[in-house]
Amino acid sequence: MSDFLIHVSAVACLYGILALALNLQMGLSGLVNFGLIALFGCGTYGAAFAHLWGWPPLAGLALGLVFAALLGLFFARLGDRMSEDYWGIATLSLAEIMRLVFTNEQGLAGGAQGVSGLPVTFAALPADTAALARLALYAALLVVAFVICQRIARSGFGLSLKLMREEPQLARALGYDLARSRRIVMVVSSLMAAVSGFLYAHYLTFVGPEQLMSHETFLIWSMVIIGGIANNWGVVAGAILMQFALAYVPFVKDWFDVPSDFVAATRLIIVGGGILAFLIWRPKGIFPERIGGSHV
Amino acid sequence: MIQFLFDTVIRALDLALIAVALSGVYSLIKFPNVALVQYSVTGAFLGMLLQQAGLPLLVALPLSAALVGLLAMLFNVLLFERLLEEGSAIALIGSLALSMILSAVFLLAFGPAAYRFDLPVAPAMRFMGARVTVHQLSTLAITLVSLGGFAAILFFTRLGREMRATATNCVLAAASGIGTRGVINATVFISGVLAALGGMTLAMRGSVSIDLGTQMLLPVFAAAILGGLGNALGAIAGALVISAAETFVTNTNFGPLFGQDFLFAPASYAQTASFALLVLFLLFRPAGLFTSEVNRV
Repeated sequence: MSDFLIHVSAVACLYGILALALNLQMGLSGLVNFGLIALFGCGTYGAAFAHLWGWPPLAGLALGLVFAALLGLFFARLGDRMSEDYWGIATLSLAEIMRLVFTNEQGLAGGAQGVSGLPVTFAALPADTAALARLALYAALLVVAFVICQRIARSGFGLSLKLMREEPQLARALGYDLARSRRIVMVVSSLMAAVSGFLYAHYLTFVGPEQLMSHETFLIWSMVIIGGIANNWGVVAGAILMQFALAYVPFVKDWFDVPSDFVAATRLIIVGGGILAFLIWRPKGIFPERIGGSHV
Repeated sequence: MIQFLFDTVIRALDLALIAVALSGVYSLIKFPNVALVQYSVTGAFLGMLLQQAGLPLLVALPLSAALVGLLAMLFNVLLFERLLEEGSAIALIGSLALSMILSAVFLLAFGPAAYRFDLPVAPAMRFMGARVTVHQLSTLAITLVSLGGFAAILFFTRLGREMRATATNCVLAAASGIGTRGVINATVFISGVLAALGGMTLAMRGSVSIDLGTQMLLPVFAAAILGGLGNALGAIAGALVISAAETFVTNTNFGPLFGQDFLFAPASYAQTASFALLVLFLLFRPAGLFTSEVNRV
């Protein structure tokens, strides 16, 4: 396999984990989260702080997981009080606050410059093997995340989440504690996003606030919508599809010799146009959610 | 103090027109249309192009506003009417996607540079001890006239009465013979006009670049939510509160608090102030200042 293909596949696996996390919130539980990238950022900045303070990388993972769990709990707490569109705006605002603080505070993880020079995962191995080993690690974690999500979706708890999504009043009347379900979903998916962020930081060897732009959240949204809301197979497929589609835009630019603004604009059009086209013509995505059937 | 008040009012102007447009549309079709901030950028660019094409400013401004109003109506008919059948969250996501596409179009058409209207440069005047420029005063006039016009339509015309009826109870309004679809499209048209005017007044005081929309998004939402989404005129009060908070954060010397002579927060913390205020508000009073509607899951 060429280096480029390995690179795109590795990043696609990390985004697949993020898409699964968003699907758990948005697809299964109906939590419209526009601030997912902040949870990812907890993972990247956990790695960055551990590097700055001279801690071993795994301590950074622990730090990122703690940050993410706390932020996820805060998001869930916000959700107790407001309807879904308000919650979407609130999460978007929180993610933007986080990005602005990291951009402006020079003393906090390098400000806008970010932190570079993080050790790359499997640095001890020769370069070719290390790239393959990383891909294998990310793919294995994607499978783990997938299995966790499938188990949740098929459990009784998953059914209660779907009930919360479709008929919140009924779910409450039946005695489900919606606030508790929301907390569990947010913590589990936040931890998944933080793991992805931690690995991403040690893959790029760089952490900076521009990785937390809200466009990144919408990219993950496009993966979920195109792949199929509430279908775990679908969102992984969507992640891989979108990642490859975006990765080849620069080549198209070289073939047609167009200005470099074209790359940024085309990415926006692929993500935005993809979301709109699917919402209009195929709102359930490539792989629609399976409703009914045996869940026991 | 006068300067603080004046800065607050000027900043509120930036937000008020777009926030009123957002709130006005929300009252009829229950989803916050994120693409409105991009409509205002469209208005600013269109106005600039029309001025470059040789039209006087007084013609270019209303013409561009009307064109953006038509564009808003077009998107509503082609896109949002269909998406709303799937639910308000889906329509919200759709409007985010639309604003991504619009910003891609701006990037291709105009590039990342900042553009200005072709206006004569005038020195700042002194007015009751505050620095004031002519453009600030003329945009103040434009904003007040448009907001007044909107309020007049809303409260003194047949269309306004139908708009308020549709907002209160769409089904009942339809049953009593109001063409609700037409009323909604008229409101969407007005919202496009207001948003475009907001973008153009912003551009007249400073410049317009393609990321203006993203920068305006959260302050405008903060203002609209603070005023109670769906309460069009409450959004004006929301805009004043948000801009007071922003002006306070950027213009206050925090030095004495930390034992230093001078300590000013970075200018981009102005945005952070409005977002933080928004989150606090959503936490304690999710439905805004001026509503009594119960609105939660």
